[in-house]
Amino acid sequence: MFGRSRSWVGGGHGKAARSIHSLDHLKYMYHVLTKNTTVTDHNRNLLVETIRSITEILIWGDQNDSSVFDFFLEKNMFVFFLNILRQKSGRYVCVQLLQTLNILFENISHETSLYYLLSNNYVNSIIVHKFDFSDEEIMAYYISFLKTLSLKLNNHTVHFFYNEHTNDFALYTEAIKFFNHPESMVRIAVRTITLNVYKVDNQPMLHYIRDKTAVPYFSNLVWFIGSHVIELDNCVQTDEEHRNRGKLSDLVAEHLDHLHYLNDILIINCEFLNDVLTDHLLNRLFLPLYVYSLVNQDKGGERPKISLQVSLYLLSQVFLIIHYAPLVNSLAEVILNGDLSVFSSKVEQDIQRSSAKSSIRCFIKPTETLERSLEINKHKGKKRLQKRPNYKNVGEEEEEERGLENTQEDPDKAKGTEGSSKGIKASGENEEIEMVIMERCKMSELSISVVTEQNTTDEEKSAAASGSEMTNWSRPFLDMVYNAQDCAEDDYYALFVLCLLYAMSQNKGIDPVKLERIQLPAQHAEEKSSYNHVLAERLIRIMNYAAQPDGKVRLATLELGCLLLKQLVLSKSGSIIKDVHLACLEGAREESVHLLRRFYKGEEIFLDMFEDEYRSMTSKPMNVEYLMMDASILLPPTGTPLTGIDFVKRLPCGDVERTRRAIRVFFMLRSLSLHLRDEPETQLPLTREEDLIKTDDVLDLNNSDLIACTVITKDGGQVQRFLAVDIYQMSLVEPDVARLGWGVVKFAGLLQDMQVTGVEDDSRALNIIIHKPASSPHSKPFPILQATFIFSDHIRCIIAKQRLAKGRIQARRMKMQRIAALLDLPVQPSTEVMGFGHSSASAAQHLPFRFYDQSRRGSCDPAVQRSVFASVDKVPGFAVAQCINQPNPSPLSSPSPSSSGSGSTGHCDSVTASSTSTPSAAHSPSVDDSSAPEQPPIIFSSQMMLVDETSSAASKSGKNPEVETANLSPSLIPAQQPTISLLSDDNADALSVESLTLVPPIDPHSIHTFSCIPQSSLPSEVCGVTEGEGSDQSQQADYDEQ
Amino acid sequence: MEAIWLYQFRLIVIGDSTVGKSCLIRRFTEGRFAQVSDPTVGVDFFSRLVEIEPGKRIKLQIWDTAGQERFRSITRAYYRNSVGGLLLFDITNRRSFQNVHEWLEETKVHVQPYQIVFVLVGHKCDLDTQRQVTRHEAEKLAAAYGMKYIETSARDAINVEKAFTDLTRDIYELVKRGEISIQEGWEGVKSGFVPNVVHSSEEVVKSDRRCLC
Repeated sequence: MFGRSRSWVGGGHGKAARSIHSLDHLKYMYHVLTKNTTVTDHNRNLLVETIRSITEILIWGDQNDSSVFDFFLEKNMFVFFLNILRQKSGRYVCVQLLQTLNILFENISHETSLYYLLSNNYVNSIIVHKFDFSDEEIMAYYISFLKTLSLKLNNHTVHFFYNEHTNDFALYTEAIKFFNHPESMVRIAVRTITLNVYKVDNQPMLHYIRDKTAVPYFSNLVWFIGSHVIELDNCVQTDEEHRNRGKLSDLVAEHLDHLHYLNDILIINCEFLNDVLTDHLLNRLFLPLYVYSLVNQDKGGERPKISLQVSLYLLSQVFLIIHYAPLVNSLAEVILNGDLSVFSSKVEQDIQRSSAKSSIRCFIKPTETLERSLEINKHKGKKRLQKRPNYKNVGEEEEEERGLENTQEDPDKAKGTEGSSKGIKASGENEEIEMVIMERCKMSELSISVVTEQNTTDEEKSAAASGSEMTNWSRPFLDMVYNAQDCAEDDYYALFVLCLLYAMSQNKGIDPVKLERIQLPAQHAEEKSSYNHVLAERLIRIMNYAAQPDGKVRLATLELGCLLLKQLVLSKSGSIIKDVHLACLEGAREESVHLLRRFYKGEEIFLDMFEDEYRSMTSKPMNVEYLMMDASILLPPTGTPLTGIDFVKRLPCGDVERTRRAIRVFFMLRSLSLHLRDEPETQLPLTREEDLIKTDDVLDLNNSDLIACTVITKDGGQVQRFLAVDIYQMSLVEPDVARLGWGVVKFAGLLQDMQVTGVEDDSRALNIIIHKPASSPHSKPFPILQATFIFSDHIRCIIAKQRLAKGRIQARRMKMQRIAALLDLPVQPSTEVMGFGHSSASAAQHLPFRFYDQSRRGSCDPAVQRSVFASVDKVPGFAVAQCINQPNPSPLSSPSPSSSGSGSTGHCDSVTASSTSTPSAAHSPSVDDSSAPEQPPIIFSSQMMLVDETSSAASKSGKNPEVETANLSPSLIPAQQPTISLLSDDNADALSVESLTLVPPIDPHSIHTFSCIPQSSLPSEVCGVTEGEGSDQSQQADYDEQ
Repeated sequence: MEAIWLYQFRLIVIGDSTVGKSCLIRRFTEGRFAQVSDPTVGVDFFSRLVEIEPGKRIKLQIWDTAGQERFRSITRAYYRNSVGGLLLFDITNRRSFQNVHEWLEETKVHVQPYQIVFVLVGHKCDLDTQRQVTRHEAEKLAAAYGMKYIETSARDAINVEKAFTDLTRDIYELVKRGEISIQEGWEGVKSGFVPNVVHSSEEVVKSDRRCLC
């Protein structure tokens, strides 16, 4: 094998003068072969080289010279290959030969060439040659060779492999012998070969496959899968502290491989093969092992069983992957409507009907262990195979058998040997089963109402009842499904049950009528007027448990529960949930609010977590198929993150995770509740992408407070920009050349994710970093802006720093208050931070509603370029409303009414001024003082003037510190934001949502007069801003007040 | 005759058709490139020893999934039983580069929750004049997915060895650090026979290598 690294050709003989790709050369090769018919140590290398060269000439001839093939056939050169092979020529030659053959068949492109190669029966002789399969390499090349051949199969070539008269199909029968080879790659190759065979639409061949091989192969396959399942179950049951997880995930992956393979066969849709396969799967695996284990947990006995969680898990996988209607329908029927008589009564019937036949035991799985039935089949299959004339690998087969026996722990397999011909019976058996099932359904249909009410029976009861005399009326499997949803202890089983129900409801193969019978609607169900109350109640109970402080419900379970409940009660026309259920659900939601309140803290991290969780929850909605590929959920729910299990699939550990969990429970139940009440979400996420200022937005900056600066990015780029601070964002704008007083946003970033630091040796510069919120809790935050800002002097720099820093705190505070509002928390006094008064806080708590309402309105208006003023113009009252909300943050915004131009701002100013009493002394008056009255409006761009707002008013800010908070440039506000310390205490107490929403005209008396209209910047200077009527008035009012 | 190797790594080579997967594999395993005039010779299974450090040999088994993509169960099993892979695109074929993302998605679906160590390979770099994908953007894409990027040419034998040995070395490091562990029932990595060195994982492997046929 490793000698192959040298060149393909020319290794053996030196006379490579002539073209190696020619008929002549082939003749020469032929000559070499005739001289060396016996393989010896001396000519081994020569022979190998010769075979290689011949192959290469053949491939060349395929495309260039048909005489090559004529010669090859004429001289029967394949015989030489076979001859070499049959001498015990050793591994080296075998591998070479197999590989070159492989290459040959892989690369032949002309059909006729292929026919030539296949026409004599030599290829089949090579297929049945007894290689030394214990050699890994030989095995690999051999199976590869078969696979290559199978890829060449079509309706014509199949005749070279399948001999109708002798009923011989070596390629297939030899290949399937390795179906349970320990090397997975060999098994994969076998599967490829079988699929390639089934795919060929040749009726005689397929009949042969069905009549002669399908039963043994499928029964063995099913047995093989079953033994894997039992191994898997052992692995789950013997696990201690998740040590088996590695092995377990392998076994799970293996099971998935099996299911995908079965599904691949089924979707080829070869009807009669599917019948046999479906029969075997249902009656020898899914029903007797998976479904049977659903109810008979504590009963001993010889029937093989797997644990409940494994059975539920595997059934979910079945329904997620296989959508073949006859199979999934029968399976669903038994689970939803069947009872144990599917197993027991079947036995009786079979005995009665077929008492004459000795072969009865073969298909009475219900009375026999799965192992035994499989064993019988296996032996039978083997016998038939042994009759094959070409079959030579006897020893091999024994070993294979041993392998099977090893995995099974069947005490008495002696009986198993009594197999007899039964390939023909497969279909008859199938009918019987279906009949039994049909009978069951009729009965259960009658009893449906009874049963739905009745399934309060606990697990013990149903288990006890399941003994022998089960009433025909009960549906133990369904009962179990309901009962396992109990999460009082933990949600170990509940998760699987939900998955199973979900998988069934999503399955395209299942007749919706079947699901309808338990009122579990299929995914896109039509109108419906009622739903399964029992199921709904169970689901709501899960939600209730999830919202308990010590609830043991994992997030995955809750999410799936929400999904199912929605599916259950939402019809096309909306929610049909009963009031009582909705009330219970609201109760659960309430609970979740209470739960989260316990974790609500003023700490910065809480906000980050809150928003992180929302992001990761919405960006990664649950994928049930992925969930069901994860073996870790098979082990009992654990709390420790050390297991590496995904957070949503385990219980929380520590306070941080408990907080995260509480947040998510809150989100999920809130969203569900809104959904079922058909109400839109107006509060979450706290920051909505569409509400934010984005790059290239064009804003009306006429009333904005801007600071000119030079932005130097990390890579050395340098641009002139104006810095504007909004409620949630800071943005860098440049003037819009087209419109006077407008600016184009070149960058916008969230204040809350910003870090501002001074630059040590430059008092005019700031380092600013803004991180993009991390997409997952583990990923590193990615900076979207990392730059040094240089201002024209140190004062402006300080002002900018202040404004940014306060803006950041303010933005966060505001969001925290909105969270508080979501949790119906009284907003805590938070005097120390921003100096909001209590009153303002309580007012703010209601404001989020307004915030979004208005933002909607704003964004609905196509004329609005994110400028609130547009709407202000249209709705005069609005200006006032804005004013009220004109909050907070920008600490040092210019108090100059002239710069802010509009009356609304004037109002704001006065409003702000009113809050002198509130402890917002944090606004560092000292700085303000220093920022003194050197405030020439900065002129930039053609005609536009923007006032750099450091503002002359600063001089007065000493005595009236709130002034600075007043002037947040309204035009930068995408929408109005709630807030904060704008009103004097007494008035605020009376403030309600309504009063805010309804745009209360500010009572002049409740507003402290704002007396510091700065004279330094004259209104006339302030560019050509047209002032609205309202603004005139309000301005007038301001002056009046003065 | 059993060669002495420390580990066996199973690798897959994926990418759009016509990007030259088979040629690359053949170049690596046989040191020969099928000339244009020659028929393209391909086969789906190769193995070769690679010496990553003096005395430390790794056996690579390389699987080409060509022609079997239509069955989900087959590709799934291929992917799942591989520890690493070369994700090829053709630098003269923009489409094949754009499909890199789809290939990664597909493998992700199949190998969940495992991962395959990929190296992104820009193939046919001898055809620099017809280049449609710049080195820079390929590197960027590779970095985004945490892969290395390398440009190769099977025709001129550029970086072919390097692509495989680099990948092998990376996997070897992960195995050494225990981030990839040998597991029964998984054939991505197997431990081999090392003279005079006792290998803890050898038992597992031996039982695994038992052949029932």
